[in-house]
Amino acid sequence: MTGALRGFVRVVDGVNYRIGRVVMYGIFVIMAILLWSSVSKTFFVPSLWTLEMAQFAMVAYYMLGGPYSIQMGSNVRMDLLYGNWSDRRKAQVDALTVLFLITYLGILLWGGIDSTIYSFQYGGERSPTAWRPYLWPIKCIMVFAIALMLLQALSELAKDILRLKGEPV
Amino acid sequence: IVKAQAPIRWRFQTYAGAALGEQVTKPIIDYINAAAQGELEIELFYADQIVPTGELFQALQRGTIDGVHSDDDSMASPTPLRVFGGYFPFATKHILDVPVLFNQYGLADIWREEYAKVGVQWLSAAGQDPCNFNTTKEITSVDDLDGLRLYTFPTAGRFLAKFGVVSVNIPYEDAEVAVQTGELDGMAWSGITEDYTVGWADVTDYFLTNNISGAWIGSFFVNQERWAELPDHLKQLVMASIEAGHTYRNQWYWGGEARLRAQGDKLALRSVPADEWAVVEDAAKEFWNEIAEESETHAKIVQIFRDYNEVINQAGPPYNFE
Amino acid sequence: MPYEMIAALMFSTMMLMLLTGQRVFGAIGFVAVMAALLLWGDRGGYDLGFSAAMKLMKWYPLLTLPMFIFMGYVLSESRIADDLYRMFHVWMGGLRGGLAVGTIGLMVLVSAMNGLSVAGMAIGATIALPELLKRGYDKRMVTGVIQAGSSLGILVPPSVVLVLYAMIARQPVGQLWLAGVVPGLMMAALFILYIVVRCRLQPELGPVLPAEDRDVGRAEKLRLLRAGLLPLGIFAAMMVPFVNGWTSLVESSAIGAITAFLVAVAKGRMTRDVFETSVRNTLGITCMFMWIILAALAFGAVFDGLGAVKAIEALFTERLGLNPWVILILMQLSFILMGTFLDDTAMLVIVAPLYVPLVGQLGFDLVWYGILYTITCQIAYMTPPFGYNLFLMRAMAPPEITLRDIYGSITPFVLVMVCALVLVMVFPGLALWLPGVVYGN
Ligand code: NA
Ligand code: NA
Repeated sequence: MTGALRGFVRVVDGVNYRIGRVVMYGIFVIMAILLWSSVSKTFFVPSLWTLEMAQFAMVAYYMLGGPYSIQMGSNVRMDLLYGNWSDRRKAQVDALTVLFLITYLGILLWGGIDSTIYSFQYGGERSPTAWRPYLWPIKCIMVFAIALMLLQALSELAKDILRLKGEPV
Repeated sequence: IVKAQAPIRWRFQTYAGAALGEQVTKPIIDYINAAAQGELEIELFYADQIVPTGELFQALQRGTIDGVHSDDDSMASPTPLRVFGGYFPFATKHILDVPVLFNQYGLADIWREEYAKVGVQWLSAAGQDPCNFNTTKEITSVDDLDGLRLYTFPTAGRFLAKFGVVSVNIPYEDAEVAVQTGELDGMAWSGITEDYTVGWADVTDYFLTNNISGAWIGSFFVNQERWAELPDHLKQLVMASIEAGHTYRNQWYWGGEARLRAQGDKLALRSVPADEWAVVEDAAKEFWNEIAEESETHAKIVQIFRDYNEVINQAGPPYNFE
Repeated sequence: MPYEMIAALMFSTMMLMLLTGQRVFGAIGFVAVMAALLLWGDRGGYDLGFSAAMKLMKWYPLLTLPMFIFMGYVLSESRIADDLYRMFHVWMGGLRGGLAVGTIGLMVLVSAMNGLSVAGMAIGATIALPELLKRGYDKRMVTGVIQAGSSLGILVPPSVVLVLYAMIARQPVGQLWLAGVVPGLMMAALFILYIVVRCRLQPELGPVLPAEDRDVGRAEKLRLLRAGLLPLGIFAAMMVPFVNGWTSLVESSAIGAITAFLVAVAKGRMTRDVFETSVRNTLGITCMFMWIILAALAFGAVFDGLGAVKAIEALFTERLGLNPWVILILMQLSFILMGTFLDDTAMLVIVAPLYVPLVGQLGFDLVWYGILYTITCQIAYMTPPFGYNLFLMRAMAPPEITLRDIYGSITPFVLVMVCALVLVMVFPGLALWLPGVVYGN
């Protein structure tokens, strides 16, 4: 049991860490798109695709980066009570409250899968803009990212269980 | 004593923001709610309130939203009709052309059929205002369009790309702010009535009297199951209310376009000479051919537009402008 | 169950869940999707969470968020603000409390270069705080100065909070930013006034710097003054093209980020470590904001779907029949109260959509209200138990500063901020004059 939990945590955290380390450079992709947008607008013809492309990049950036941000502990908590608790108490409560997070991400994933399936139907859903990009690529990325987020939440749960068992994490 | 039945509740979302929705959608919902005496209660939501406009159609199919007022184009309709909603370039000259095309030239049947295929009940279409330009930069020739970043409908944007327009699609309610944040140079989205109502006249300076289409084409839709559940007398009531709303809107736009062009003081009028603007009209004919090649349904509808335009061109003014 | 009840239930459930100390976005998101599922489950209630993600994608001004965050990290991590601090150090050191006054000046300049308070906090805590403690300044005084000063980051343009407000209130960002300038400078002036008066009364709180520390020679003094031009340059590189309409808001934010980056490279401060920290933390903070907004948008959509907005409006205007000013004051009080224990981003995305339409209906100017809102946020940043600046201060402060010190330090500054809030309420011109001049209306 402990071994399985450890294995799960190692694999999930490892994968999400690597993805997060790559995705964090996405800030420069967004920057480059916006810079090209200002340059092309000032010196040539403004581009049709820049704003939407930047939006896609932003979505990929924060969604795929989400699990790594959980690992870094970037997500704020209200620590009125939490801050004063012992590590064990924190692990106990976290092991329960992370179930809410898992539920939320599960339903998010459900809606995402549904919307992604839709984007393949009727000849492929396209963005209602003149550029008309297909939406399935970004929706697939979003669903993939939410799934990774869900795995990360499960990994947090696993870590809390390990802590409660007195295992070093 | 017969216990009153629990009311049927619908969530209804319009493409329009609150200021415009007040005129184009709310009157209908108000008629229905008042006349249904509690049997049917429709709650109206404005642009992007519950779901973003781009997701509106799927939400309607799933039943997250029960009813929708929108054009086929901006709500991302999954049917071949999508390109014809909103502003199909130069398809119409006046607001009344739309009901004529639907009720006398057969578009209504095509629309009803195509939407039935995707699980949605199409109810009724109507015309609205023409597609003029309101901009921060002056337009006096076709060349001035080159490089303008405009808020416009997808199909209109695709057409205007031929003249160097860069169309930007953002949530309806953000368009006004986007002019001020420099994302947009203006809109190719409406006539002048809407410019004043929505507040766009406050952030742009010029109004181009030439248009790329004489009337917006938009429809009322209901989730198929919700519609089937409705008793007949309420169906009648909904249809009659929609018709009453059409009448109100026809007057509101027709009167507003004239009055605000003549007396409005927020937008300076500009015009491109008619013979120069003919270039744009000719490009539309090309565009129609492109669209007609996309599918049989596309071809059929384009042919109806051709037939109708031939009729009104033969009839002469006031049906056309020559 | 009547819809008002459901809305109240949703809100209180969310509050309770936040108390458990779980991640804020998880609590908000859970309540939102569960409510949607229970209310509309059979009719696609499960897709509201995801459709919020699609809505969020279209909120283009949020592209400025990672840009401003990155900019803030580059500025604080590369320590290009060190020279700035030395400038204030030398120029203001002769005054009682002068270093604290100088720190406020530093915070104003840092605020003009980034859109959040994080950078100000980091710069203040790493550069100013140790220096001030070493010089015998009262630890509560300096802790308060840095927390309060850094909160100017969201009032002095550029400001991410005002970008978010602009999205919700549908008001022009440019005007909102300009509206924040005078109140921001006024608030800084009030802070300075407080410091000077307090140190005059209790000189031991802020001793004068010894003369040998200040006498660095005229040439060096002028060189340090030139360091003050740097933030002005970064600010101008970003704002001039924007105000002139050459670039859009989001493009300008990218230019600002790139400029800050290039400046750090040019000054030889962009080391591997600085680069790594800036890039990584930008991802972390951006994710934190975006996931909260994502959850809060779904919450807002359910609230909207319940007609909670109409219910609140009806309650205030019809049922209670209150004077508009009384309503406005009640709203500000409730914001401050909620701000003590709610995340301000969530507060904005959930509560502001309820209040803003009402404020508009009551006939108040929404640009002006944006400034009131932002000042309230500043207060929320500092008031325990939940405040970003409190968290950051706790994380960054040296061990001799206790939690009690941190909590105690904010009181006078919060009072000053409430003063500023009242002033802007009574004299709307403080906010509206500058946008009026620039945009000419
Ligand atoms: Na700022
Ligand atoms: Na607080």
